[in-house]
Amino acid sequence: MAYITGPDVVKYACTCGLLKPITHLYFCRYCTQIRCSFCVCHEIDSNFCGKCSENIPSSEARLKKNRCGNCYVCPSCQQDLSTRIASKGSANPEEAKSTPKKMYYLLCQFCRWSSRDVGIPDQSTVTGGWPKRENVHANRLQELVDSYKAIILASKKHQQDKEKKKRVKCLSYTDRTGVTAAAIRKRLGLPADMTHPMLKNRPKNPEPAKAKSEVEDLPDSIFTEPLNLAEIMSIEQRLLQPEQQPTTVDKLFPVHKQLSIKRSLRCRSCEHNVSKPEYNPNSVKFKIQLFAYYIIPEIRIVTVEPLRSGKTSELIVKFTNPTQHQTTITFFELDLDEVESVVTEEVAEVAESFEQSLYLQEKQQLSLPSLGSLSQPSSLLASRTPSITVKPRRIKEDLNCKIGIPESSFILLPRDDAAEYDDSGDSHNIQDDPKLVKWRKSNKAFIRLYVTPNEDLPLNSEVTCGFVMQHIYTNTITSKVENKEPQQYNHKVKVFLTLGNSVGCD
Amino acid sequence: MMSRNNIKIFPGAMVCEESKLRGDITIGSGTIVHPSAVIIAEAGPIIIGDWCLIEEQVKIVHRLPFDQQSNENSQPVLIIGSNNVFEVDCIVEAPKIGNNNVFESKCFVGNKVTISNGCTIGAGCKITDEQILPENVIIFGVNCQMREGLDRPGPQTLQMETLSKMLPNYHHIKKPNMKKE
Ligand SMILES: [Zn+2]
Ligand SMILES: [Zn+2]
Ligand SMILES: [Zn+2]
Ligand SMILES: [Zn+2]
Repeated sequence: MAYITGPDVVKYACTCGLLKPITHLYFCRYCTQIRCSFCVCHEIDSNFCGKCSENIPSSEARLKKNRCGNCYVCPSCQQDLSTRIASKGSANPEEAKSTPKKMYYLLCQFCRWSSRDVGIPDQSTVTGGWPKRENVHANRLQELVDSYKAIILASKKHQQDKEKKKRVKCLSYTDRTGVTAAAIRKRLGLPADMTHPMLKNRPKNPEPAKAKSEVEDLPDSIFTEPLNLAEIMSIEQRLLQPEQQPTTVDKLFPVHKQLSIKRSLRCRSCEHNVSKPEYNPNSVKFKIQLFAYYIIPEIRIVTVEPLRSGKTSELIVKFTNPTQHQTTITFFELDLDEVESVVTEEVAEVAESFEQSLYLQEKQQLSLPSLGSLSQPSSLLASRTPSITVKPRRIKEDLNCKIGIPESSFILLPRDDAAEYDDSGDSHNIQDDPKLVKWRKSNKAFIRLYVTPNEDLPLNSEVTCGFVMQHIYTNTITSKVENKEPQQYNHKVKVFLTLGNSVGCD
Repeated sequence: MMSRNNIKIFPGAMVCEESKLRGDITIGSGTIVHPSAVIIAEAGPIIIGDWCLIEEQVKIVHRLPFDQQSNENSQPVLIIGSNNVFEVDCIVEAPKIGNNNVFESKCFVGNKVTISNGCTIGAGCKITDEQILPENVIIFGVNCQMREGLDRPGPQTLQMETLSKMLPNYHHIKKPNMKKE
């Protein structure tokens, strides 16, 4: 995609204030807002192996340290290893006539590393019981893991005890019959036992690691013998095997392939998905794909006259309607300061509605028997309350070029996939402002704008301009459910164009 | 300097008519040259051994480095050994090539690099520095990493058998003009 839409000279402002090319943006149709990868929740749907395409449950994936049990990557170049068959004739000449025994070994097609290179014997099964490498630090690691687990357990217990004590405290005040030493301690605010419960339940500390001051001397040969770089591992190769971190290539052992994930993206404000992939690892399709590229008109720079400070240049931009609905594009002046105030207002509104819903909920709980008409909207509101409100930041972009905002608006026809094959010519009869619309074809329109770089702009500096584009967004969710006319909204997007560098006067 | 074409083809070689051969070139038996392969013997004769596979758009150029070009009297011979595979779109200008080497797709070997035996030049790898590649060296990856292989890459017997059956059905083959030694 990047090579079609790149370089990123046209950027759209996300609701959160970040500027991104349209291909990196999502559009939540429930909030009718643009979202980007920074203002959505990322959730892991499934773990799978990219080689054998097997889905692995998350608990199993954690157990296997997010690696596939059957697939390996090349320790030399990190490409997938493939299993090769080597038929080996039996050593016994009488048996040689019968089917030769099949043996398997691992081979990298890319760098030709094979399991035979490091002396791993061929295996008799395809999946192969490839020998597991013992981790020399396995005991130490286990010791540390155990001790941290114990600490977690102890702190949990401590928390529980604390809660229990609170309850006990209440009781002891009401029940004054049996006054014990422990009760007095409690009343005085002293702990029940002198040793802290955290410390009491804690297992013995693992032995701390010790730094060594004595290091083995380098062997003499390192100074006398020529270095053979082909025998020494690269940093990448060493880091692929963090347990061993061997230094020479004869210790390159196959590494289990790391799992990939499928992830869905969720709008933080309304908790609806903006992107959800299909579960099947073989599928590259989506169940939900609310990409801005499919909803918001795409803008591309076609031509721009040489930019000179203080002089007006003609700019031709192309608008493409990606939707099945006709839309009208209107331009507005972009004011970055105003943008901020609008945004804060919105946030305040959201917060208000959130508070209101809380209030309604409380009210509902208080008057439980009366499950009247009030409870329904409140529960609806509750399900739509924002989990996290992202405070939008101010758009950081220096605009050094004025853009003439056209007074008239223009229509973009809906996308028609068949139009590409239609040679009968354009049969639209749209009354266009000829000053604004240079040319149009199917769902595209070429628009003429005028830009004027600032007077004080130094030579050869990058010229950036911006405007607000308003388009009509047709919401099809409600119409599908309730069989109503699709709802239409005016949606405004801030668009920033990087026009290139300014040139000198001629 | 480049005189008339003098192409010597041994029996059993399969050289497609459309391939571009320039200069004094000898092609050993069993070798397959694809239609759009280019072999240019600019600085001197090229002798290609037996059972080499030269695929589409391969360029084998015998061209001396600039500092050796002044010596006009000498006619160095580029000898390419047997069982070498030149994959699609590789450019090889090496002054000497041994046996059982593989030049993967779109690799480039400069005219200061001598190739011994059993080497693999990975897809897209560019090697230009003056050097002699030791036996069974494998060059791979974007950074042209080098490693030593256990043995030479396997011969492409199956592929060559198929090709020698298929190619004559669709292309004109140059007739061998040499007798078996
Ligand atoms: Zn965002
Ligand atoms: Zn796998
Ligand atoms: Zn490899
Ligand atoms: Zn939303």
